Order: sequence, then structure tokens, then C-alpha cells
Amino acid sequence: MNYMESFNPDYVLILSGDHIYKMDYETMLDFHKENGADVTIAVMPVPMEEAKRFGIMITDENKKITDFEEKPAHPRSNLASMGIYIFSWPALKEALIANQNQPGLDFGKHVIPYCRDKGEALYAYEFNGYWKDVGTLTSYWEANMELIDIVPDFNLYEEYWKIYTKSVSLPPQYFGENSHVERSIIGEGSEIYGQVYNSVIGCDVIIGEGCVVRDSILMNNTVIGAGSSLQKVITAEDVTIGSNVHLGVGDEAPNETDPSIYREGLVVLGEGTSVPDNVNIGKNVMINGATEPSDYPGGTLASGRTLVKGGM
Amino acid sequence: MRAVGIILAGGSSSRMKELSRRRAVCAMPIAGSYRSIDFALSSTEHSKIQRVAVLTQYNARSLSDHLSSSKWWNFGRKQGGMFLFTPSFADADSNWYRGTADAMAQNIEFLKNSHEPYVVITSGDCIYKLDYNEVLEYHVNKRADITVVCKEMPENANIERYGTIKMDEDDRIEEMEEKPLVAQSNIISCGIYIIRRRQLIELLEKSREEGRFDFVQDILIRYRGIKKIYGYRMKNYWSNIASVEDYFNTNMDFLRKETRDYFFKQYPEVHSKVADLPPAKYNVGVTVKNSLLASGCIVNGTVENSVLFQKAYIGNNCVIRNSLILNDVYIGDNTYIENCIVESGGTIQANSYYKGENGVKIIVEKGERFTM
Repeated sequence: MNYMESFNPDYVLILSGDHIYKMDYETMLDFHKENGADVTIAVMPVPMEEAKRFGIMITDENKKITDFEEKPAHPRSNLASMGIYIFSWPALKEALIANQNQPGLDFGKHVIPYCRDKGEALYAYEFNGYWKDVGTLTSYWEANMELIDIVPDFNLYEEYWKIYTKSVSLPPQYFGENSHVERSIIGEGSEIYGQVYNSVIGCDVIIGEGCVVRDSILMNNTVIGAGSSLQKVITAEDVTIGSNVHLGVGDEAPNETDPSIYREGLVVLGEGTSVPDNVNIGKNVMINGATEPSDYPGGTLASGRTLVKGGM
Repeated sequence: MRAVGIILAGGSSSRMKELSRRRAVCAMPIAGSYRSIDFALSSTEHSKIQRVAVLTQYNARSLSDHLSSSKWWNFGRKQGGMFLFTPSFADADSNWYRGTADAMAQNIEFLKNSHEPYVVITSGDCIYKLDYNEVLEYHVNKRADITVVCKEMPENANIERYGTIKMDEDDRIEEMEEKPLVAQSNIISCGIYIIRRRQLIELLEKSREEGRFDFVQDILIRYRGIKKIYGYRMKNYWSNIASVEDYFNTNMDFLRKETRDYFFKQYPEVHSKVADLPPAKYNVGVTVKNSLLASGCIVNGTVENSVLFQKAYIGNNCVIRNSLILNDVYIGDNTYIENCIVESGGTIQANSYYKGENGVKIIVEKGERFTM
């Protein structure tokens, strides 16, 4: 609050960091001003059958919001909230002060309903373009896989509207004599000696000789020894996988701890995880921590298992 | 460090042929993601030099663009920092830099306004890593007037375009010769010098009065008998890129693991201006072998034993072999390129064929490009 006040703002733009899109907020602000709105919510038309997964806005012909419903069983509109809001500062300030004792204060659950109940002017700004929520493991994996299409809907290579990031690494990437790569994007400083298909590879990743990586996302500083194979694997930063390790093999089985998160055959390795040489790992598996050969009886971790080691 | 830095970045070199038509040699792209001057600047930074002047004149635009912010080398500071000095024409007697000594003499105020006792003079067209503190320690121990960093080249190396050095058993320099017809020694000067600041000011002012403008010829060689000039032997990787052949070979050196590990992985790292580019992308039907690729590249064809710099686009069914593809090059489908350097910003039409038969061929193509 003090931070916002220090800018003496007229308007406040509120965004989520877990969405992938390109939007010019200036035109949204113009829309907000033209309508003399107190709150403007960016919305996106979604297929009617999917509308029940979103917060849905019901509007009149002037795009004024008359009602809204969170994940409705029978949606009355297909305009889904994108979690992007512009507030006129007095309206936001007043709403935040009035709701300050609300536990777990949430824009969708508390602030927006409060503004509606007060009779403030709520408008829906319609956005038509690529937008993806990557707040779940499977949607995160899908969004990454869409980036490696020949000409993706969300194009990182357009000069206009570049996506900026903090670069962690500068050097170019190197491909060895026996490497092979198809349908993949690869970050700076990585060294590829094995084979990579349909994958998104971060910076400073090393993929050893004879490895086969498919349909996977490997984040920065993942290191894989020689002769390993990865199928639908997501590694967080600083993961080390030994030689001759096979991930994502065998039949599917639901995950024993979080079947709604670790699903669709994905194998997830948390930040800093290490996997020893010569083990086979199934599908819908989550591994976190420094694991040892004794964690893999018979050299195997079955599908659906969750393996968490402390003392990292 | 108790020294200020001067980076001589003026060079235009006819030996670079078409490549230096548009840019200073120091702004030449290196190893996919860097520019030549990054190596001198990064060594300056890691040696904890606080103030550094970059002296340049020919085709300074690409260089000044690269150096537009000093923060990448941690020179964005309240005290000291990085200064880019081009010749300034204040009156009718003003001149271009007539040589390396003249470039420094024209910016003598930079030296006079410093308080550090020593000056490290380096050159922006060399690829190396060096802690100048070690050279300074050597300089002080030898009670030298000037220390010249030098390197022993292999017996069969072509050193005719360098300055050669002959030293006595104490490594004091006895003879120095610029671009000798018949080399007396296989030890060459690396273009890196340490000298006491007041001494440098004195020598520069004297040379200027006498109408002498070249640091090597008119100071090092002229004073070699009177001043104590010592050679500091550099052991690690060093190369100069100021000829097409050396530029090509230096880039190809980075396909070797030891060179990559030395520059990319071992401390200290080399810094450069960050371009904010997306990751490199590989589509279907791609073959990439023993090659370096920078960010922003899109590959649809075959790349072997090559270095692709930032934002190279390689079309379908292309074959790129033993070549350097510089920044922002578009190569249309079905094109064959071997033993070539493709100049930055080039657009090569589909179905082209280029092959360097006797040495490296430079391709400067400005075909029309369809852009979004």
C-alpha cells in the first residue's frame, strides 16, 4: 500500500506472473478511461464447453459487467477472466482497506465481489490472442511444447514485442559429433552430445553421449550422464541424472500422493535433485532430493511413486 | 588495482578485407555471442581496474553501440567507469589519431586526471584472459620501466604481422622489431603493456613534440636501450584476430573443448552486452554436428564444424560446413556454404552455392528479405 502510494497513481495495473501472453496494457487503460470504469477486467473468449473451468464474466452490450461466477456448472457466457485488472486507485485503496481483515484476501474471491456489491463500474476488456495459464504442471508442460511448433501461436522470434528475461548465461550452445536434435529449443551455454526430440532445454544443460531426451523440459544446469533416456520429464534447476538412467518407462499408474498433479505420464524432478547411475524410473513419478542407489530397490522406482529425500 | 586502463580500439585493418568495412576490428563478433573487445574489457574488470578509456576512431558506430552501457562489465559506477574517446576536432590543428601514441597523447587529460600510479595499455582485437595484477607484480619485482606481455609462438607459426621480441636471460628486452621480414625470434608482443603513469605522460608529450605518433615504433623500440623494458611471458590462450585467417581460426578454436572450458566455464567469465534473445530453435530434419550456435538462431538444415552467431536463420535442406555465419544472417532454402564467413545482416537467396576454394571466402550479400 505504501509502495503504491509512493507513486501517487491514478490507476493500478494488477497482473499474474504465471500467464504467457503479449498484451499492450495501454489500450486496456484507454478502454478503462473511455468507460469511466472503476475496475476493468481483461477477459478472453473461450470455448463454451471449457468455460466451466474459469471465472466467467457476464456483460451487457457495452461490455459492462453485470454479474460473474467462479467455475460455473452452467456458464451463462464464455468470457473468462485472465487475472489482469486495472483499478482506479481510489477504488482499489478503499476496497483494500475495507477488506483488510479478510483472511486470504483474494482479488477474484473478495475484492472484485466487494466492488460489485458497492455498485462500482466494472467493465470487461476483451483480449483476442494467445494466452495460457501455466499454473498447473500439465498446462506448463503443454505451453512449453507449443513453443516448439514450426511457427508457434506464441512466437518468441518476432522482433516486435520481444520477451525480455534476466540472462543467466552468455556462451553459445555446443553440439557434439554424435548429437542429434529435432523440434526443440535450447538455451545458452548448453552442451548436447546425445539426442534431443520435442523438448525445451534451458541454459547450461549438459546432455551426455548416447542419451535420448523426448518430450521433456529441462531447466537450467540440468546435467545428464551418458546413455540415459528421458520421456516426458520435467527437471527443475540444478538436477543431476547419472549415466544409464531411464526415466518415464513402463505402464502408467496413478501417483500415490498427488494424482491430480503428477499425471499424464510426467516425471518431475525437483530443484537440486540427483539420481544415481543405472536406475529405471516409471511414469507419474515425483522425485525430490539427493537420492541414492538404496532408494531404488532392484534398480527401479515404479510408476506412481513419490520419492522425497531430506537433508539437501 | 593501482592502475588505470587504456584499450586501444582504433584499428581498421586492411587485412580484414570486407569485414572491417562496416566496423572497427574490436567490434568483430567472436565465438557466437561475444565481441572482440569483451575479452580486454573483462580482463580489465576482473583485474579490478576502476577507470578505463577505450580509444577508437574508424567505424566506431558498431563499437559505441556495443559499449552503449558500461553496466555489462560492471563499469557503471559513481567513481571511475568506462570512457569512450574518439578524436575531437576543437580547432584547425585537430587531427585524427595519427597512431597509438598520438591517440593516448590526444587524451592525455584522462591520464593526468587519474591518480593511480600505473597504466595498463591493452588492445581490443586480442582474445585472452589475463589478470593484470600478476603482470604488475612482475613489473614491480623487475623494477621495470615498461613491461610488455609476450607469447612464445609455435616454430611454424606465421608471425610476420606481429612485433617480435628478443630477450636476455633475465627477460629484459634487447631487440624488438615490427613486422620483421625475417623473424629473429618466435616470441611476439601481445599488445599489452604496463607502465608508470607519470612516465607514460612524459614519453607521450616528448614524442608528440618530436612529431612521433606510434607507441611501438617511437616509444618501445626507440627507448629500448635507455629504458628497462621487460617481457612478461603469457602462458595461456592468446590470439589476435586482425586478419581474416586469424579471425576464422580463432573462432574455430572454440569448437575445441579446452578453449570452450577455458573461456566459458573457468573463472573469470567473459562478459558481454546481453541481447535478450530467445533460445535457439531446431525444427524437423535438422543435423547439427561439432558446432556452436548462439541464441536466437533458427535451424532447418545441416550445420557441421561451424559457428552460428546470434539470430542466424538456416533454411530447409541447407548445408553449412566449416563456416562462420555472423549475426542476423538469413540463408534461404537449398543453399550450400563451405569455408566461408557470411557477413552480419546478410540475406542469401535460396539455391545459392558458395565455397571458399583457396582459404576462406567472405560473403557480403544484401538480398531482399521478407520480414514481418
